[in-house]
Amino acid sequence: MSLLLDLNNVNVRYRTNHAGIHSMKDLLTSFANPFQTTLILKDISFQLQKGQSMGILGRNGSGKSTLLRAIAGIIKPSKGSLKSFGTIAPILALGAGLELELTGYENIQLLLSLYGRKVTKEAINEIASFSELDDATLNQATKCYSSGMLARLTFSISFSHHCDIYIIDEVLAVGDMGFQTKCIDKINELKKQGKSIIFVSHFPDEVVKICDQAILLEKGVLIHKGTSEEVCQHYKELF
Amino acid sequence: MQFLNQLYALSKRNVILRYKHSVVGFLWGFIKPLIYLLIFIVIFSSQFSSVNNYVLYATSGILFWFFFSNIVSQGVQSIIQSSGIIKSVNVSPILFPLAEVLTELFNLLLALMVYFVVMHWFGIQYTFQLLWILPILFIFSIFSFSIALILAALNVYFRDIGILWNTIQPAIFYLTPIAYTEELIPPRFSYVIKLNPIYYYIKLFRYPLYESKAPDFHIFAVCSIISLVTLMVSLFIFNRLKNQFITAI
Repeated sequence: MSLLLDLNNVNVRYRTNHAGIHSMKDLLTSFANPFQTTLILKDISFQLQKGQSMGILGRNGSGKSTLLRAIAGIIKPSKGSLKSFGTIAPILALGAGLELELTGYENIQLLLSLYGRKVTKEAINEIASFSELDDATLNQATKCYSSGMLARLTFSISFSHHCDIYIIDEVLAVGDMGFQTKCIDKINELKKQGKSIIFVSHFPDEVVKICDQAILLEKGVLIHKGTSEEVCQHYKELF
Repeated sequence: MQFLNQLYALSKRNVILRYKHSVVGFLWGFIKPLIYLLIFIVIFSSQFSSVNNYVLYATSGILFWFFFSNIVSQGVQSIIQSSGIIKSVNVSPILFPLAEVLTELFNLLLALMVYFVVMHWFGIQYTFQLLWILPILFIFSIFSFSIALILAALNVYFRDIGILWNTIQPAIFYLTPIAYTEELIPPRFSYVIKLNPIYYYIKLFRYPLYESKAPDFHIFAVCSIISLVTLMVSLFIFNRLKNQFITAI
C-alpha cells in the first residue's frame, strides 16, 4: 500500500467577517483589526492509503467542506503540512462551479477545460450519457434545472475524470433512487479499480456502506478517527 | 498550456454570457461607441469645425476608451462573480481578470473591422502606419489589465471599489481629450490631463489612426514604462491578496 494523502497538524484560518467588511463604513467603525482571522481547522492529522476510502462526518459548520477544499488545494493551510501523492478529482458538491446562465453542454465544456482536460466529443458524450439527461435538457440554461438534475450533471462531470482520489460532498441525497443506485455502483467500481474516495455525508449508514475509514469533526477539531462503524457510532452519540 | 486552455474557456464563457439574451449581440460592441459618437457630433461638431475630420478624431478616442473602461468595469467584478468556480475548482484567480481582457480584445477587433470600413468616408488613410495600432494596443492592454487586477483584488474585500469605479469613470472620461481637443484646456489646467495616463495612450492611437503617421517615440517609450510599472505593482498587490479571496467571496 502506498500513501496518498498525508495531513500533519493542518490548520486553516479564515478571515472573519462579523457582518462582513464589505464597505468603508464597516472598516471605519470596526476599530479592531479588520483582517482578524479565525481558526476553522485545528491540528488535523490523518493519512489515507491508496485504495482506502474515508468518510468525513460532523455537524453542519464543523469544517468538513473547508477540509475538502484544503485537500483539493483550493485553500492553503496556514500551518502544518498537507501532502498529496496522487491526482485529485474536483470537489463534487451540489452545483459547484456551474455557471447558471450557461447551458448544460456549455458548462460541461467550461468545467472540462478548467479542470485541465481536453474537450473532446467523446468526453462530452460520456458525461451526457452518464447523467441520463436528454439533449433538450442539456441545451437549456442550468438555472432551470432542478436540484436533482444539477446533482446528476456535477456528479457526471466529476466522475468522468481519471484520478486517484474522488471527493464527494453530500450529493447523493438529492438524486432520485435510480441515480443514487447508479452512483453507488460507480463508486464501488472505482473502489475495485483501487481508487480512493473521500465521502462527506450526514447519513452514517451510507458512510458505513462506502468507506472503511472515517473521521469525525467537531468545531474544527478531529475528535475521532477509526473504522467507519466506530466513528459512525460516535457521530450518532453527538445528537 | 493548461493555463491557456483555461483562459480560453473563461473568455469564451464571458463572450457567451455577455450576449446571451440580446438580439443584436456582438453588434453592441460597435453600437455603444456609435451612440456616443452621435451625441458628440450633435453637441460638439459645430464647436470644433476647426478640427479636421472630427468624426475620425472622436472615433479614434472613443473606441479605445471603451476598450479600457469595459475591461476595468468587467474586471473589477470578475473575481466575485466567479465565486462558484473559485470555491470548487483549483484555478489561478488571475485568470478571471485576464479573461476579461481577451474578451474585450475580441470585441474591439470586431468593432475595429467595422470602423475601418466605415471610416473610409471620414478620411481614414489606409497606410501601413495603421499597423502601429498593434504594439500600442499591446501596451494599452497591459495597462488596462493592471488597473483591473488591482481593483478586482480590492473589490473582493471592499465592495465599494466597484461602486467607486462606476462613479469616477465618467470623470476620467471627460478628463481625457476624447471628444474635445487638448487645445480646449486652458494652459493653466493643462497639467491635469497630463497627469492622466490614458491621455498618453489615446494620443498614441491617434498617430496612426488620425494623423496616418508613426507614433512619437518618446510618448511610446513613456507609455511602455507606465504599463510595465503598473503591471508590476498590480501583480504585487494581487499576489498579496489572492490567498484569502476564498474567505471573502
